[in-house]
Amino acid sequence: MTTTRYYSVAHHVMALTAEEEVFSLLGNCDPFEVAPAEPLIALSIRSRVPLPEGWTEEWRQEEEGEEIVCGHVDGHPAFVFYSHGKRAGWAACSKDYRQVRVSLGDLPKLTLDNAMMISYALATASADTLLFHASVVNRDGKGYMFLGPSGTGKSTHTRLWLKYVQGSRLLNDDNPVVRIGEDGKATVYGSPWSGKTPCYVNEEFPLAALVRLEQAPYNAIQRMRPIEAYAALSSSVSGKRWDRSIADGLHHTLNALTAGTGVWQMECLPDEAAAQMTSSTI
Amino acid sequence: MKKKDGLVLRDVCGEKVLVGEGLGAVDFGRLISLNETAAWVWEHLDETASIDSLAQALCQEYDVSPEVARQDVERLVGEWVEAGVVAQ
Repeated sequence: MTTTRYYSVAHHVMALTAEEEVFSLLGNCDPFEVAPAEPLIALSIRSRVPLPEGWTEEWRQEEEGEEIVCGHVDGHPAFVFYSHGKRAGWAACSKDYRQVRVSLGDLPKLTLDNAMMISYALATASADTLLFHASVVNRDGKGYMFLGPSGTGKSTHTRLWLKYVQGSRLLNDDNPVVRIGEDGKATVYGSPWSGKTPCYVNEEFPLAALVRLEQAPYNAIQRMRPIEAYAALSSSVSGKRWDRSIADGLHHTLNALTAGTGVWQMECLPDEAAAQMTSSTI
Repeated sequence: MKKKDGLVLRDVCGEKVLVGEGLGAVDFGRLISLNETAAWVWEHLDETASIDSLAQALCQEYDVSPEVARQDVERLVGEWVEAGVVAQ
C-alpha cells in the first residue's frame, strides 16, 4: 500500500508517494509536512528497480566518497547515486524535473535525500529560488549565512556564533533555501536537509548578510565587490548549469541576491574573536 | 579561432562577465570580466573569425583607427588564449 505525503519547503510543495515504511526514514521531513496541496514536484518511490536501459552518463561529481552521476534515460534527465562504491539508488526526472521516479538501492536514505534535493534545486531554479550549500544562523529575527568550500569551517564558525553571539540559533547547517521576493528582498528558509547536523527547522527569516569564509592565520573582514560576490554565491548554489534554462534561472536569482544583500569575505581563525568580528560588522 | 565550450557571457550587476556553465566548463571555476569592447569582440568571435576580420568589424562598429582596433583585438585574443578560453 502506498501513501502520499506533502511537504512544503520555502513554500514549494513536494509530494512523495511511497510504501508506508519508507516514511520512517523521513523524520527530517516531518516539520515540513502540510495538508495535501497541488505539488510543484511529485516523487514516486520504489525499491530495487533496475536502472532503465539506455542510461547514458553525462557528468559526475564526487565529494567525500559520495558521488552523483548525472545523465539521461531515453532523453530524460537521470541521476545515479553512489556512496563509497555502493550504488545507493537512482532517480529519473521529467524534463522540467517536476515528476521524479526514484528507485531505492543499497542506501535508501541517501537516495531519498539526494533525489529530493536535486529535484527541488532544479525544479525551482526558474522560480527565484536557490538551494545553497551553507550554514545559517538566525538572530534578532534575521538570517546570517556562512559559505565556503567543504572543510572551510562553515559549521565551526556557526558553532562560535551559537556559543559567543547572544541570541543566535542554528537554522540549518548545510542546505538552506533562499528566495527573492517580488520586492527584491531575500528570505532564508530552513529545509529538511542539513548535512551531518540534524537541524530541520521549518522557519524563515529575512536574509541580512552572506559571508564567504576562508581560513587564515588572522581575522579580517571586508565587503565583496558585486562580481566577486556573484562568483562566491554561484559556487555555493546547487544546479546543473549545462541545462540552459536552469543556468538562466540561477543567474537571474543570483544577480538579484548580489544586488540586494550584503556579501562579505571573512578570513578567519576558528576563535571567539572571529565570531565577534562577523557579528559586529555584518 | 574557437571558444572553449560551455562559456556564457552574462550580465552580472551591470558588468559583462564570462561564466563557465556548459558541460565543457562546469569546473572552469573563474569569472572573466569584460569591458564593452571585449564583450563585443567575444560575441563576434567564431570559428571563421581571424584577428584581421575582427579588427575590421570592430572598426565598423566603433570609431577607432584600424591600427588601434588591430592592437586591441590582438591583445584581447592573446589574453583569452592565455586564460584558456580561446584556441587559435
